[in-house]
Amino acid sequence: MAVEVDILTALKPIIVLIAFSALTPIIGYVEGKLKSKHASGIFATIGFLVTLALVIDMYMHLPAGGFTSSFPGFGPPLGVELRIDALSMFMIALFCGIGFLVSIYSIKYMEHDTGLDRYYTMLLLLVAGMVGVAIAGDFFTLFVFWELMSIASYSLVSFRKYRWEPIEAGFKYLVMSTLGSLIALLGIALLYGYAGTLNFSALSVIFSKPTVDPAYCYIVITLILVGFGVTASIVPFHTWLPDAHPAAPSSISAMLSGLVIKAAVYAIARSVFTIFAPSVFNYGIVLVVFAIITATVANVKALLQRDIKRLLAFSSTVNIGFIIFGLGVAAYGMHLWATTGANLALTASVIGLIGALMHILSHAIGKGLLFLAAGSFITRAKTRNIYDLEGVGRAMPWTGASFSIGLLSLAGTPPLAGFVSKFLLLMAGYSVGDLFMNIATSLMLVNSVFATAYYLRLLQVCVIRPKGDKVKAIKEASAIIVVPLVLLMIALIVIGCYPWPLVDMAQKAAFTLFQVP
Amino acid sequence: MEVLPPQAYFATSIILLVIGIYCIVSKRNMIKTVIGIEIITMAVNMVFLSLGWMRTYPAQLIDPLAQAFVIISIVIGGAIAAVALSLVTNAYRHYKTLDLKKLRRLRW
Repeated sequence: MAVEVDILTALKPIIVLIAFSALTPIIGYVEGKLKSKHASGIFATIGFLVTLALVIDMYMHLPAGGFTSSFPGFGPPLGVELRIDALSMFMIALFCGIGFLVSIYSIKYMEHDTGLDRYYTMLLLLVAGMVGVAIAGDFFTLFVFWELMSIASYSLVSFRKYRWEPIEAGFKYLVMSTLGSLIALLGIALLYGYAGTLNFSALSVIFSKPTVDPAYCYIVITLILVGFGVTASIVPFHTWLPDAHPAAPSSISAMLSGLVIKAAVYAIARSVFTIFAPSVFNYGIVLVVFAIITATVANVKALLQRDIKRLLAFSSTVNIGFIIFGLGVAAYGMHLWATTGANLALTASVIGLIGALMHILSHAIGKGLLFLAAGSFITRAKTRNIYDLEGVGRAMPWTGASFSIGLLSLAGTPPLAGFVSKFLLLMAGYSVGDLFMNIATSLMLVNSVFATAYYLRLLQVCVIRPKGDKVKAIKEASAIIVVPLVLLMIALIVIGCYPWPLVDMAQKAAFTLFQVP
Repeated sequence: MEVLPPQAYFATSIILLVIGIYCIVSKRNMIKTVIGIEIITMAVNMVFLSLGWMRTYPAQLIDPLAQAFVIISIVIGGAIAAVALSLVTNAYRHYKTLDLKKLRRLRW
């Protein structure tokens, strides 16, 4: 059973993040007086460290059913409810961990930019928004924190406003993503019009009654899927992503690609799976078909890119395809189990969700690492063209080594984290055991192999080839940039060799989503 | 005083939604795009309110949850408009035009 806690206890990580974000401009003012360049960065990093400590402490004391919390006298089903269970904790730990490492990296990476206090304010707000999305127990809270996250990421994408590219990409991202949130809001309005509440658990009770009109429910599912799917960059709503990622500073690309699109996937999973039980509604097929289209289209596009960050951006879309595929397998297997009673389908469904969560983790770490390493290459070599970066990994051995491990992990090489998650996903797909899922999983397997082609090409050009003319003179990046990269690299290797504790965590999280005690 | 039923408000908001989408799709001026986003925001807010009223219709009151949500949504819409307009200002500084067709250096 869920344990009721005080609202301040539940909001602690967000309060710390927002307090640090509000104080950062003051530090920035002092920084200006002292002619220092690193004060606001160090301050923000301390903020992330405190939050991370609080989150780990919360995880240690998490009861089996999680925490719930609401304002006294204004509780569910109408008021704000916060719900922190194993799934939320899994996501929060990921958000705060990657946020902390990106903040360390930014201290050195962003030192040549001006307006750093604004940058760190927005970075802290971005993570606060994502943590809020993860702990929301109703649509009201989810939407407010969702918009906090979105607004912070629009401003961060167009942070270098003296160049044309960030402005243009930022405007495109803003228009598309705002339209997406408004479509999701329309879905939320329809849910409210039917049920009169926005609380997830109250809605799930109302929509599990047999009297509901399935057509109405499918309209709502479509609106929510499309609305959050724009930010999750599901093809055909992905077109903002390959422009926004190269235009943003590399640290922000790592945040966007590693975390923001994962927060969108979380929002889809949490709202759709909790409210519309997959055993009753059959949306698994839609998710699987979307996943295959996403992975295939993005793979073909990624193969054609010469810009390193654009290639990595398309590869993010491919991996979103894999995560959505895991969710699709989970929903499809659950529906098959409910209609035919095949026990194997139930097992496959749980493994699919575990695989999706593990892929969220391994892709967040791996893609974060790749964007940070690519940013470090780009700062030194002053170019984003892959063929001008020939052999840059040899000139910067530590960055190059972590870049290679990141690429190999995303390609699914054992014994790295990417292998574990892709293995779980494909195993889940094949264990459902009907013709449609066998064909779909085979297509995903082909996509996975196809993706390896451009990962290995990137590895060959950037690391294995001898140094090209343009990178002859460049040296290794400074220690502050290398430390987060090496930490992420070690995380990939450790998770790959010893994934059991994390698979355990993911399993608990998957069970909370299916409401299995 | 005669009051229109909530269905009338719902129909108006759907018309507004269509107008907003038309505005975003067809207009080339960046500021008009932002206006289109705002029209859609207002349309969705009105859908929310009218659906809230439909639940209690013969009574002349709306569930406060819908009102609270819409107030927050209006505030968020304002914040988004502010960010969007600041991007428009910066785009104007770079291009000396607000024509979206001229902003095609990215491969859209």
